[in-house]
Amino acid sequence: MARWRYVLSEALGGLRRNLLMSFAVILSVTVSLTLLGAGLLLSEQVDLATDDWTGRVEVSIFLCDDRTCPAITTEQRQRLQQDLEAQPVVAEVFYESKREAYDRFTRLFADQPTLVEAIDVATLPASFRVKLENPALFGVIREQFAAYPGVEEIVDQRDVLNQFLRFTTLVRNGALGVALIQLLAAGVLIANTIRVAAYARREQTAIMKLVGASNWYVRLPFVLEGIIAGALGAAVSWGVLYAAVPRVTRDLAREVELLPFIGVDQVIAVAPIMLAAGVGIAALSSLAALRRFIHV
Amino acid sequence: MIRLEGVTKTFRRGRDGEVTALDDVSVEVTKGEFVFVVGPSGSGKSTLMRLLTREQRPDDGEVWVAGKNLRRLRSWKVPLLRREIGYVYQDFKLLPTKSVRENVSFALEVIGRRRSEIRERVPEVLELVGLTEKSDAMPHELSGGQQQRVSVARAFVNNPRLLLADEPTGNLDPGTSVEIMKLLDRINRTGTTVVMATHDQAIVDSMRRRVVELEEGRVVRDQSRGVYGYGG
Repeated sequence: MARWRYVLSEALGGLRRNLLMSFAVILSVTVSLTLLGAGLLLSEQVDLATDDWTGRVEVSIFLCDDRTCPAITTEQRQRLQQDLEAQPVVAEVFYESKREAYDRFTRLFADQPTLVEAIDVATLPASFRVKLENPALFGVIREQFAAYPGVEEIVDQRDVLNQFLRFTTLVRNGALGVALIQLLAAGVLIANTIRVAAYARREQTAIMKLVGASNWYVRLPFVLEGIIAGALGAAVSWGVLYAAVPRVTRDLAREVELLPFIGVDQVIAVAPIMLAAGVGIAALSSLAALRRFIHV
Repeated sequence: MIRLEGVTKTFRRGRDGEVTALDDVSVEVTKGEFVFVVGPSGSGKSTLMRLLTREQRPDDGEVWVAGKNLRRLRSWKVPLLRREIGYVYQDFKLLPTKSVRENVSFALEVIGRRRSEIRERVPEVLELVGLTEKSDAMPHELSGGQQQRVSVARAFVNNPRLLLADEPTGNLDPGTSVEIMKLLDRINRTGTTVVMATHDQAIVDSMRRRVVELEEGRVVRDQSRGVYGYGG
């Protein structure tokens, strides 16, 4: 008990003694972990969007429902389906009724009730969803079926998705890359801070070693000092993401209606990873800093 | 208590210079002895002391302290070795922000002794070194001799089997030095082995204890009830 009190008071004392340095460490951890968290959340976003889209639909053939063009007749629809199935570049065809389109939409945007409320079963068009043997052959489909009666529009949905994914992946990789560099910089800063702290207390440390204090007992206050700073940085950066990300995705969801977006749940899910990264880098760099200093 | 067998230790100096601090040194100290290690600066006294606490390791030869072979001692066990050794420095090495009592308590706290034990033991030791009245004083309020007595108290508070003193009177005037020597003598009489490195001729001559003399890293004399030097 007394030992833990000593370790903790030494660690906090160290942080207080060198307030400016502690602040720099916390700030640097905050910046790197904010980027790390943002990168991870972007990954989540990509996964969420990809899960929803990939392996489902490559080409959508939206059908007329009297709102933009005369509604497709049952006969026209059956012919369209037969011709689609007969077309060699088509691997798979399935029909999505207005009802199914509506159900999928409500599921996709379950966390955005206002969006769901604005829509009813009649709003969304029915469609054929077509999977191609080779997605590059989209042109064939467009040429053959665009003029069919009752076809409103043919959309290669991969275009939309790919653009979004390419952009998101780029941003994510950038964020993770910079986060990694920042995290390294934070580690160096922590190591340096701990070295300064250990130097400031070198007399005490030397005496402790000479009277036979165990190695962990000599080191722990310094490591804990680093860990506290790392954990504080993680907490602040997580707070930033918690405040900002749901707001941003809510705005985005309003602009981009076709995609599901991450929300508070995903931000909460990355908290342990960020904490582990902050504490981990702090512990590692503190120990590395002490390796030379407090040996013998 | 201590056994050195053929101990050699060299240090690199500069680019290709090598200094032999100890050269094939063999010494044995039995339990309860009082031994002076004498010799001019650079003769290897300090290196010898540092080998005994495993601050340094020999290049060659064996070092045994308190039944432990220091060559084979795992590094995580070094703290346990040092709990059996009290160490007194020439420059006292007291923590300036702690009082006399706290400086002594510190040595017990950091090895995880119980509070109740610390409360009992620290006043005993402060009484032994005659500083009961100065318990709450800060180191800078004390004279050199008093500070060294605090340092001795700290070294002895854990009841070590071995007390090492590296030039403990080096910063003190002759009168104060005698006080410290009386203190070390009393500690020795409790059964604690004392090894003291010094070049204080008057003290060695007056104590008439065993003298091990080093010169350029070699033992040139090992004499029970000796004096500092033949030629003076």
